[in-house]
Amino acid sequence: MALDIQSIRADFPILERVLPNGKKLVYFDNAATSQKPKIVIDAMTKFYEQYNSNAHRANHTLAEEATAALEHSRLSISRYFGTSPANLIYTSGATEAINLAAYGWARYNLERDDVVVVTEMEHHADIVPWQEMSKEKGIELRYVPIDTKTFTLDMDAFEVALEGAKLVCVVHTSNVLGVRNPVEDIIEKSHAVGARVLIDSAQGAPHERIFFDNLGADFVAISAHKMAGPTGIGCLLVKSEAMEQMGPFMTGGSMIRRVTTEGSVFQEGHAMFETGTPRIAEAIGWGAAVEWLSQFEMREVHAHIQDIASWTANQMLEIPGIRVFGDPSLPGSSGAVSFLHDSIQSQDLAFLLDEGGFAVRTGHHCAQPLMDALGVPSTNRASFWIYNTLDEAQAFVSHLRYVCERFA
Amino acid sequence: MAESKWPEHLDAVVEDFKACFDAMERYELLFEYAKKNPSPLPEDEWTDENQVQGCQSRAHVICLVDSNGHFQMRGGADAQIVQGLISITAMAVNGLSKSEVSQLSPEFVEEMGIRNSLTPSRANGFLNMFERVRSEAENLG
Repeated sequence: MALDIQSIRADFPILERVLPNGKKLVYFDNAATSQKPKIVIDAMTKFYEQYNSNAHRANHTLAEEATAALEHSRLSISRYFGTSPANLIYTSGATEAINLAAYGWARYNLERDDVVVVTEMEHHADIVPWQEMSKEKGIELRYVPIDTKTFTLDMDAFEVALEGAKLVCVVHTSNVLGVRNPVEDIIEKSHAVGARVLIDSAQGAPHERIFFDNLGADFVAISAHKMAGPTGIGCLLVKSEAMEQMGPFMTGGSMIRRVTTEGSVFQEGHAMFETGTPRIAEAIGWGAAVEWLSQFEMREVHAHIQDIASWTANQMLEIPGIRVFGDPSLPGSSGAVSFLHDSIQSQDLAFLLDEGGFAVRTGHHCAQPLMDALGVPSTNRASFWIYNTLDEAQAFVSHLRYVCERFA
Repeated sequence: MAESKWPEHLDAVVEDFKACFDAMERYELLFEYAKKNPSPLPEDEWTDENQVQGCQSRAHVICLVDSNGHFQMRGGADAQIVQGLISITAMAVNGLSKSEVSQLSPEFVEEMGIRNSLTPSRANGFLNMFERVRSEAENLG
């Protein structure tokens, strides 16, 4: 069944927003955060209006309702990601999820000179924790370069870097280039040398179903807010064998079984890593988001996004002075289109696009090593999602052409 | 100076912007002012020390008092919009006394309609630069 985009758009109140300059919002900053359907907003509002209470702590009605809703969301979310609730650790987002893998697994299991492989394509969230771990533990960090002609990972260099690796950390889909990496191949090759694998799926999860148990990665980091959920929540999916090797990351309430003045005994499983009051409203909102997303066939959603992205990128290449990084028509590409004008600086271009009502991202996208590899300080990025339309893309290209003609 | 919110010599610039038909025309004018910086700071003089923090683009400012006791600022940025705002700020402050600069209000940008076309986070880029100039005026020996 074809997607009914107009009906989908009706689920998102914000898409009716008119900006202060009178222009109607065209939201092309979806790789930064997606908009939220009303069902998610309503689920969170209902929690605060009707059963706000702390979870796992009391025996009154509200606390039981809050606890049940929190755990129901864990069930819905883990099912959506093809795994069991025991393998899902709630975090504040993908960044905290990767930090949890670093401080909760790597710190307990890696030693001096052990090798961690990352790539030049990573978001800072999947670089800086490993740099810090390198300082703390003396581990060796190896970076896999990208091929700057194809904008894909250099897989020959990956295989060289893999020698002796204990952990491989790779982004599922680049937030800058939209490139979807061959993660299945990466996982298989990494496991063949005995390395554990962490996949940063912050950008991948909004575009394809991640079935964790089938994928076979040891760790997968996900953010809710890029896939219709609220900000402030995400998760680290962890294989049971890897979770058994983990130790506490943050300590305090909730994660303990018994505390005495002599010391503490910790909870086991995901509870050991969910310290303090849970993100209850956010978990409920995310649960509503995955249930909303479940009504769609993600392959259709993705095909819709790629159609818009490919059309936009091709049209942009016709505009004198515009360079496009990456190819949104590549299989699996998220449709993030990074571009740069040769004389209009990226921040200037973003202001001029915003004047037309078009929200795009500007800057280094928290991926400075990738910017260095591309030889640019920043790019503009248009990124599309389920509710965007070809009409919006046409209006965007038309405004971009006008801006380039007037300001270049 | 006491009665006006900005130096008199900036009136013509403010009027220039107020005469603009729409935001796009204001941006165009700002791009033109970017080319008219009275005291530019070339890129080879950009350092970590003279970088204005909080600007999304790269912006650099150096302030000094010349032998006549007049305040002078030199600035540069990679984005034309920020560069235009630096040019106008330099036009405003160059030649004033330190105390005049330290008491200067950034309201001229609002009057020019720039703040209307720049959201608060963008204005912060300008305000960070402006505050840097003003605090240097207070602290210069």
